[in-house]
Amino acid sequence: MRTLTQEYVPCQIPEVKEPPKGLDGLVDNAIGRYRRRRGILAQFRRQAEHIDAMEEDWKFLSDQALQKHLCDFRDIFRRGGIQDELMLSKALAAIREAAGRVTGLRPFVVQLTGALALHNGMLAEMATGEGKTLTAALAAIVSGWTRRPCHVITVNDYLAKRDAEWFEEFYAYCGVSVGYVTSILKQEDRARGYAKDVTYTTSKEVVADFLRDRLKLGDQNHPTRRLISHHLFPHRQQAGLVMRGLHTAIVDEADSVLIDEAVTPLIISSSTNNNLLHQVYKQVWSIANSLERDSDYTIDIRYKEVTVQPSGRLKLQEQIHTLPERWRGASRPEELVEQVLVAKEFYTKNKQYVVQQNKVIIVDEFTGRMMENRKWRHGLHQAIEAKEGVPLSSVDQTLARMSFQRYFRLYKKLAGMTGTAHEAARELWHTYHLPTIRIPSNRPVIRKHLPDRMFPTASAKLEAIVAEVEKCHLNGQPVLVGTRNVATSQVLAKRLHAEGFKVSLLNALNDRQEAKIIAGAGAPGAITIATNMAGRGTDIHLGEGVAERGGLHVIATERHESGRIDRQLFGRSGRQGDPGSAVAYVSCDDELLQRFARKWMLELFRWSLKNHLPGARWIGKFVSWKVQGKAQKIAVKSRNSVLKMDTWLDEAVGFTGKSYY
Amino acid sequence: MADISSTYSESWFRIAQQRVSLRPHVNVIRQRFRGEQWYVLQDPFNNQFFRVRPEAYQFLIRLNRDRTIDSVWNEMFELDPDKAPGQDEVLRLLAQLYGANLLHSTLAPDSARLFERYTKRKQRERKAYLRSIMFARVPLIDPDNFLKRAMPLARLVISWFGLILWLGVIGTALKIAADNVDTLMEQTQGILAPDNLFLLYLALVIVKSLHEFGHAFACRRFGGEVHTMGVMFLLFTPIPYMDATSSWSFRSRWKRAFVASAGMIVELFVAAIATIVWIRTAPGTVHSLAYNMMFLASVSTLLFNINPLLRFDGYYILSDLLDIPNLHQRSTGLIKHLIEYHCFGYKKSVTTARSGKEAVWLFVFAIASWIYKIIIFATILFFIADKFLILGMIMAVVCVVAWICVPIYKLIVYLASSPKLDRTRARAIAIVCGFIVFWLIVLDLIPFPNHFRSPGVLQASQHSVVVADVAGIVEDVVTPNGAFVESGDVLYRLANKDLDFQIRTAESQLAETEAMQLMAMQHVTADLKPLESRAEATRQLLKRLYQSREDLAVRAKHSGLWLAPDLQDSIGTWLQRGNPVGQLVDESSFYFSAIVSQREASRLFSDEIMGSEIKLYGQTETTVPVSSTKVIPVEKRNLPSAAIGWAGGGEVAVDMQSQDGTVAVDPFFEVRAEVPMDAEALMIHGKGGRIRFELPPEPLLRQWVRKFRQLLQTRYGI
Repeated sequence: MRTLTQEYVPCQIPEVKEPPKGLDGLVDNAIGRYRRRRGILAQFRRQAEHIDAMEEDWKFLSDQALQKHLCDFRDIFRRGGIQDELMLSKALAAIREAAGRVTGLRPFVVQLTGALALHNGMLAEMATGEGKTLTAALAAIVSGWTRRPCHVITVNDYLAKRDAEWFEEFYAYCGVSVGYVTSILKQEDRARGYAKDVTYTTSKEVVADFLRDRLKLGDQNHPTRRLISHHLFPHRQQAGLVMRGLHTAIVDEADSVLIDEAVTPLIISSSTNNNLLHQVYKQVWSIANSLERDSDYTIDIRYKEVTVQPSGRLKLQEQIHTLPERWRGASRPEELVEQVLVAKEFYTKNKQYVVQQNKVIIVDEFTGRMMENRKWRHGLHQAIEAKEGVPLSSVDQTLARMSFQRYFRLYKKLAGMTGTAHEAARELWHTYHLPTIRIPSNRPVIRKHLPDRMFPTASAKLEAIVAEVEKCHLNGQPVLVGTRNVATSQVLAKRLHAEGFKVSLLNALNDRQEAKIIAGAGAPGAITIATNMAGRGTDIHLGEGVAERGGLHVIATERHESGRIDRQLFGRSGRQGDPGSAVAYVSCDDELLQRFARKWMLELFRWSLKNHLPGARWIGKFVSWKVQGKAQKIAVKSRNSVLKMDTWLDEAVGFTGKSYY
Repeated sequence: MADISSTYSESWFRIAQQRVSLRPHVNVIRQRFRGEQWYVLQDPFNNQFFRVRPEAYQFLIRLNRDRTIDSVWNEMFELDPDKAPGQDEVLRLLAQLYGANLLHSTLAPDSARLFERYTKRKQRERKAYLRSIMFARVPLIDPDNFLKRAMPLARLVISWFGLILWLGVIGTALKIAADNVDTLMEQTQGILAPDNLFLLYLALVIVKSLHEFGHAFACRRFGGEVHTMGVMFLLFTPIPYMDATSSWSFRSRWKRAFVASAGMIVELFVAAIATIVWIRTAPGTVHSLAYNMMFLASVSTLLFNINPLLRFDGYYILSDLLDIPNLHQRSTGLIKHLIEYHCFGYKKSVTTARSGKEAVWLFVFAIASWIYKIIIFATILFFIADKFLILGMIMAVVCVVAWICVPIYKLIVYLASSPKLDRTRARAIAIVCGFIVFWLIVLDLIPFPNHFRSPGVLQASQHSVVVADVAGIVEDVVTPNGAFVESGDVLYRLANKDLDFQIRTAESQLAETEAMQLMAMQHVTADLKPLESRAEATRQLLKRLYQSREDLAVRAKHSGLWLAPDLQDSIGTWLQRGNPVGQLVDESSFYFSAIVSQREASRLFSDEIMGSEIKLYGQTETTVPVSSTKVIPVEKRNLPSAAIGWAGGGEVAVDMQSQDGTVAVDPFFEVRAEVPMDAEALMIHGKGGRIRFELPPEPLLRQWVRKFRQLLQTRYGI
């Protein structure tokens, strides 16, 4: 247990300021534009080249001497005194030398540039395979020297653990302690992880730990109040916080963490036995099942909404006696029925969730991983359980909730890296005040991006994919087929299996073999089918002789709501100057098109494809562009509304005291 | 944000474990509006009100420090699952109550946030103050103690006795006013004269003070507290005001309405007293002051206070009587709802009306108050601009910004980013654009009939004024008035003794000269020549005199109607030379002489006149067609008839210095329109009327812009 004064820091959390609106917003936008101007890159680049030129100063030092110098740098940085450009350059040059000696990876100028950008609290856009992990480590060491908490946020537990262990020696060499926090860790191990100078973890863990700490603090959220209470009641149990405050965060795959996942706030909940609606869902499910789509209720596919029509209401009234008495009122049963219908219409097994051991488990839309401990909000989870016929779980009671948007704005210094950010540069600045900088790749990317292939129906698309996989396989070229959900991946795997191919399947259901599957994905003729799990952070090394056959071929079976996610998948091939190719398959039956395209547009597209019209390709491009734009617009809206809702709540229910949960 | 009706809220955890209650000082009053039960929460510290539904109230009274919000909610749900408010509803309710400072929490409040809220509120208040700068209020004193002490008096006055007294005094005053209606009207003319302005203002202050005390006493009489009294700068004119909002907590709407109308009741009473004083005093300061008070107390009451379309007393009375609280707000809300729901397709929009009948009321009120507001502001603007042009222009700019620019900006922001329109944005934008385009086409592209009117008189194409060429005594009227005469007919005859005498003298002179000529022929031949010229001169004179004698019988110079209505009466009286005697009017053809002002004249010259028609006064049902028009391209000042000018009751401004009232102030152009004889109208020479010039059709917008410019030009010379 640490002392109270040590806990003073994590108690002290700055106010979150609202993003500016109106005229202030315009000015702020202009500032953002200025902060991410091109000149910045040249400046960093120059400094990085300068560092590169200092190589000779360090090259011939003995390990001992280098380490001593590094320790001196650490002391200087910890004192927070002279931190001018030159000192930073020298320090980075020393770290670079250390990296070369310990890990065998000598950072390129590009990586140094990236590290400088990170150090300056920017979002560095670097092409996939440019060694972002190492770049982050460089910046993290400089930050770790100050002993102020530095969190390196990775996409998943696997990467957090891998990176922390991989660079442990390097960090130690530079005089910095490193730890990691993953979901399976116990409280004490977590505290140990956060106690280190640099902590590798995932966004979900770090927010959850933060919230749990807040819950422990309760209403004693102000450090002074806590101090007084401690002196008044010395025997009272101390909270025992896990974290030691927030200072620097280096977010890998920042667009995914800060944007895509920001829609769903993180919730800490406890299960309760005493609840009102738990049991009613079975009955509601049978009522909802008797309603017919379009006649008894209508659905809005784009917004995932259900509206019960008068005839449906009538049917509901007829069966209302089956419900427990308290649910027989006028408006409440309809609410329940609508919820169950939403579960029925818009939530599909092996898409949004999987069923394992009689439990419904949510699959993360962006990472493709199972999220064991999460549940959908009030009742929806139970509705889905009723639909799947598994035992209903209890309704969880929310204890604390925080949106990622809010959380990451709490850091004094936020920096990030990603392969795909410039589309979201505006939003990143607006929400996080994070300027984006695009760092050119070290070696030119020679990945061939083939034009989209378009089909009128899903089955035609499937046939074509199978044919293409077969072609590549026979050619000896490894193929990575990316699917959007578990169900599609299974269908495709089954199909290829039937054709007699050996297929590795990577999805939420067999994530334990992830490392093995990824390791083999670059072998000659390998066929890998993966959900979004293979999207980020995975490094597929090419096998013997594959480069000559064209490198890894990536097939996206569908386009995603955001072009960024598509590009992430394509980025699996053509790493670090390797050859590779990528292609996306689009059909009119794709969920994305069904949901966001206008009916006439879709019909026109389908018709032109069926008749092989020469303009079909352009229509397809237009539809894809339009649809992704629309989806993005809606997504931005919903992220903003999360933020607005948070702010409104803070204002409105100020009587609940501090609001960080 | 989530749907109001949903039972469960994602944000419930924020308040679930809190313990809150209504602050102990909050007063609760039960009221009925349109047969619906409501509870009004009143904060006596700042006199703010908050209305809640019974279900919500049931929830609120269950809250106390010993229970969490969650447990109260669960209990409510157990009791009446259907009516119990959903979690979202509770969240919102508590948020609003907290915002209104009516909620007590066991947790120490977050002081930083409290301060933030305070700063925000101050900012809002400052903004609101600036926005209502025309009605800025400065609170000064708390009159409550005074009112309490004066309560016995109020009890005495607000009673049946008071009513009878009031009716008696009002009745007396009405009688006096009716008896002296002429004098009253006459004095109205001087009400805005500069020397009266001070008295007028003094009267205003007295009357309005009494008015406000009327509200205050009435409010206090029924138990409401009145804590603020101060000065309101209504259009920068300081007048007193008082805050009687605590009457809103009265349960009976009649009492509320009475408090609202108390001011007017007092004012009418003051007006009545002033009338009595006015009739009993001789002209002097008291007399004038009484008159001014009478005028203000009655006119302002009738024009402003009772009018429900402005937010004065009448509005609150109407609101109470109709039983529709927040009438103004809800009526605008209803319009917004109608547009959002029906035009923009936002199906989640909820109407502010509770019944169809109420919707009609709200709709009518919204439209009427909107129109009225524009009219009253335009009037005030022009009134001020007439006196102080610069100030008027500043106000106009402010109005344009506040009423045109800001709403347009808000509309654009609303269309671009309102979350309500997320699903129907394209449709909403299309409808708004379509609406604008439609009106632009109608107003700017489609030509509409374009015309203007001018006053003028009907004139016979041949008419002459018969003037006495010679002086004389009217001896005989040969042709009676109204008879038709041919050219050369004798109209009347004059007698002139002097002329006869002169003739005789001249004749004698001629005879004498001729005699002298004969003599000279014989004796002095040298004298012959002068004598000859003298004779000739005398002969000439004689000839003229004969002619004059001949002229004594006045003849018609042309045929026509002989009009000399007064001549018959002047037989035997002396007629000066040059005096008009009568008129000869040839009614065989007429033309209409129209007076076209400078500003319209340019269009006469630039545009082709498509056609025109005349309406004569007194014969408005028949239109006289015009065969052709001719613009006389010379500026004139002399009117063809005094009847067109102000002096003769017409509409053209004339120089009041001129004797006959035919000299116009502004020069004009004359247009002559030929009138065919076969027109149905009864043609009378000198008949006034209006001519309507039909110009080539032009879109309405351009017509309006021109009219507006002309208005500015003539009124302010811009």
